[in-house]
Amino acid sequence: MIRFILTRLLRAFVTIVLVVTFAFVVLRLSGDPATIILGPEAPPEAIAAFRASWGLDQPVMVQYVQYFAAIFQGDLGMSMRDGRPAFDLVMERIPATLALTIPALFLKLALGVPAGVYAALHQGTAFDRTVMVAAVMGFAVPSFVLALGLVLVFAVNLGWLPSGGRDTVWHAILPIITLGLGGAAALARFTRSAMLEVLGQPYIRTASSKGLAWAVVVRSHALPNAAIPTVTLIGFLVGSLIAGAIVVESVFSWPGVGRLMVVAVANRDLAVVQCILLLVATTMVTSNLIVDFLYGALDPRLRHGARAAA
Amino acid sequence: MTDIANATPAPALRLPRMPWYVAFGMGWIIFVLAVALLADVITPYVFTAMDLKYRLVPPFQTWAHPLGTDELGRDVLSRLIVSIRISLLIAFGATVISAVLGTTLGFLAAHFRGIVEQAVLMLADFQAALPFLILALSVLAFFGNSLPLLIGLMGLYGWERYARIARGLAISASAQGYATAITQLGATPQRVYLRHILPNIASTLIVSMTLIFPEVILLESGLSFLGLGVQPPMTSLGNMVGYGREYITRAAWIMLCPATVIVLTTLAVSLVGDWLRDRLDPTLG
Amino acid sequence: MSALLDLHDIARSYVTRKGLFGQRKLVRAVDGISLTVNPGETLGIVGESGSGKSTLGRMALGLETPDEGHVTFDGAPMPSHGTPAWRALRRQMQMVFQDPLGALDRRLPVIEQIIEPLIIHGIDGDHRRAGLTALSAVGLSADHGLRYPHELSGGQRQRVVIARALITDPRLLVCDEPVSALDVSIQAQVVNLLIDLQAARGLGMVFISHDLRVVRQIAARVAVMYLGRVVEEAAATDLFRAPQHPYTRALVSAAPSPGPRRIERVILTGEPPNPAARPTGCAFHPRCPVALPRCRTEAPALSRIAPGHAAACHLLSPAAKVAAR
Repeated sequence: MIRFILTRLLRAFVTIVLVVTFAFVVLRLSGDPATIILGPEAPPEAIAAFRASWGLDQPVMVQYVQYFAAIFQGDLGMSMRDGRPAFDLVMERIPATLALTIPALFLKLALGVPAGVYAALHQGTAFDRTVMVAAVMGFAVPSFVLALGLVLVFAVNLGWLPSGGRDTVWHAILPIITLGLGGAAALARFTRSAMLEVLGQPYIRTASSKGLAWAVVVRSHALPNAAIPTVTLIGFLVGSLIAGAIVVESVFSWPGVGRLMVVAVANRDLAVVQCILLLVATTMVTSNLIVDFLYGALDPRLRHGARAAA
Repeated sequence: MTDIANATPAPALRLPRMPWYVAFGMGWIIFVLAVALLADVITPYVFTAMDLKYRLVPPFQTWAHPLGTDELGRDVLSRLIVSIRISLLIAFGATVISAVLGTTLGFLAAHFRGIVEQAVLMLADFQAALPFLILALSVLAFFGNSLPLLIGLMGLYGWERYARIARGLAISASAQGYATAITQLGATPQRVYLRHILPNIASTLIVSMTLIFPEVILLESGLSFLGLGVQPPMTSLGNMVGYGREYITRAAWIMLCPATVIVLTTLAVSLVGDWLRDRLDPTLG
Repeated sequence: MSALLDLHDIARSYVTRKGLFGQRKLVRAVDGISLTVNPGETLGIVGESGSGKSTLGRMALGLETPDEGHVTFDGAPMPSHGTPAWRALRRQMQMVFQDPLGALDRRLPVIEQIIEPLIIHGIDGDHRRAGLTALSAVGLSADHGLRYPHELSGGQRQRVVIARALITDPRLLVCDEPVSALDVSIQAQVVNLLIDLQAARGLGMVFISHDLRVVRQIAARVAVMYLGRVVEEAAATDLFRAPQHPYTRALVSAAPSPGPRRIERVILTGEPPNPAARPTGCAFHPRCPVALPRCRTEAPALSRIAPGHAAACHLLSPAAKVAAR
């Protein structure tokens, strides 16, 4: 078990190092950071000062090490747009993003998991077919189309809800529904197939042929086993709480991290982009770690290192 | 022994029976492909041409502009046709790049094993661990934007899935013996991989392509919608939706036309892909 | 006459490891073997699974490089695996596999696979005609050539593999259990085909099998392997008439043979050999009915016990015979 945890931690660390390396390489490949960040018309003295302060006059390997050191000390650079630390800018936006994505996550779970389980238990019925059609549609309809469709119906035609901004609780409803519906479809489809796979296993047939009531079989044998793959997907959804809202925040002019990212990319505000990249990577990696440990707790077979070699 | 000799080989090309929705998917794919290929011939107007007498004409009002016009009086149908061409071009280019890249890396991992394999798997883990949209946005922020860059960037999408499949299948092909046998005949590794292993795993790779293709369309249209993908005056489906969003209250058709095409196309390709997977390769996830 | 293939004191070990951080363990699959194959001669290699006979065959072809010792083919050292020189040498040395279906590409008609070595080695000429000749040489018709591997029977597939192996007129053919996957009724046909082709073309052949009956039919000389070492080597007639090593005696006595039984049936007891847990001394001693205390500590060397007959057993060495007298 200790070896299992150590292997996972090592992998997580390697992923973070790769992300930082990616940011470093991309930053260097994209040209002279000084002219990119200060603009081509910056005075030469400013460029020289910038190069000195960022260590750009040093050899590449030294820069690489310094870059790591700075990042692990929490120094993520200044936003070129308003001259404040990028980290502060991003942190300010996090509550707004979570205010959308956490309710949306609950919406996904509340719709997707029961629908998937119910569809699996009643395979081939009208309900099951509806879930499958919804799941396929949920994949084919991109979130911005769904968002604009909802705006068209509920804001433009019916006038019930506002179409953008973050002034009242009502403003959050359409974005949450957009995020929730798309994810719920995928989650329902996934839960359904996990559940169907478990229901096809011999031990389920054994349990029900022993005379156990079907409800008991489902509750005590099928659900816990189907939960294992589903937890992975939920972990991924939690990991994408911050990144998942990029498009939807933009449609609804919601002042969260996703919208900040889009604006920063459009303005080539590199410090902010890099900060969000690292933040997202860290969240993903952390939630993957937690999922791996949960996996270990849910599936006793994995506790004994069977997965460590995989 | 002779009775085997008389057995007729299965006809190579017999269209299998397909459900109606797969037939619909096939039909739609053929339709958009035809539109994309014939775009130059069938567009009624040059897609950037403005006709200020006809601004914000709704669809089905005049034969001159069957799908209406936008704020600048540009013909929505012409723009839609060109957008289909650009979006499909990007998605095809990206899917091919990603399949070639992933398959090559997978083969290299299977051939050299050891450090090469570990490096490929580590990169694949890294790619799978991060939402691609974030990576794509970061690259666009650093490098700015151009059509070749956009295709190349999208070409990084999904490579890790091809790599894993190609690696796994190549390793099992070697274990099965025919790869070893052909190596023992004196064939170069290129010959073993390209002439023997690749045709043997092609159906699995093609199914994977049909599963990844719609995701690439969605990704490109998402980026273009945000204004970070295809740049004006060039247009793409996502781009049109992004532009049409400004006129959602007055001229929803500008946005609805491309949105419908996006949904129908991803739907069609994924229906066909799912069906192909079930028929050809039930082992794929 | 100079040897076609010469294996000189070759050894090969594998590292086995349990899990990611498990203990590494060295397993010696082949442990100091010297053998030669002359042109036109068939050497049979007999042994149970785990005796290292397949590893020996792979080293003979240069598919694996020995850790110790060296392999020479036609007087020249074997190039390392995968080099252009190694690939070019494939024209001279070919292999027949245990599983013919696995050795063929399922997606190509067999005639294309039979002529593939001609394309690989850039040999000019009418490939189609060469393919048809090769087909008829192994007793298949032109019509068989157009089929896919799964449309042929096991015996026919093995004939295809043999046709492919022989199309470049090689001088050495290594057959690794070529008939053990086939029905018994088909085995004899394929073995007879190999005997005929070998005689007609003057092939040097290494024939690896666990089945003494088959080896007896085809081989002129036989080497018996046990846990990576040769325990007895002799002309086939001598070896089957008068096996000397206790292990060979057990094998020969267990195999059905025509005519009255010449030697008493010896039943092997104990665990089947496991290369990962090699016994000390003579590896065969835990199962040997006549083991001495000395066998547990000291490994016997392969030594000549009669002209053209060698064995590795303390009981058979000249010194032991002197002591017994």
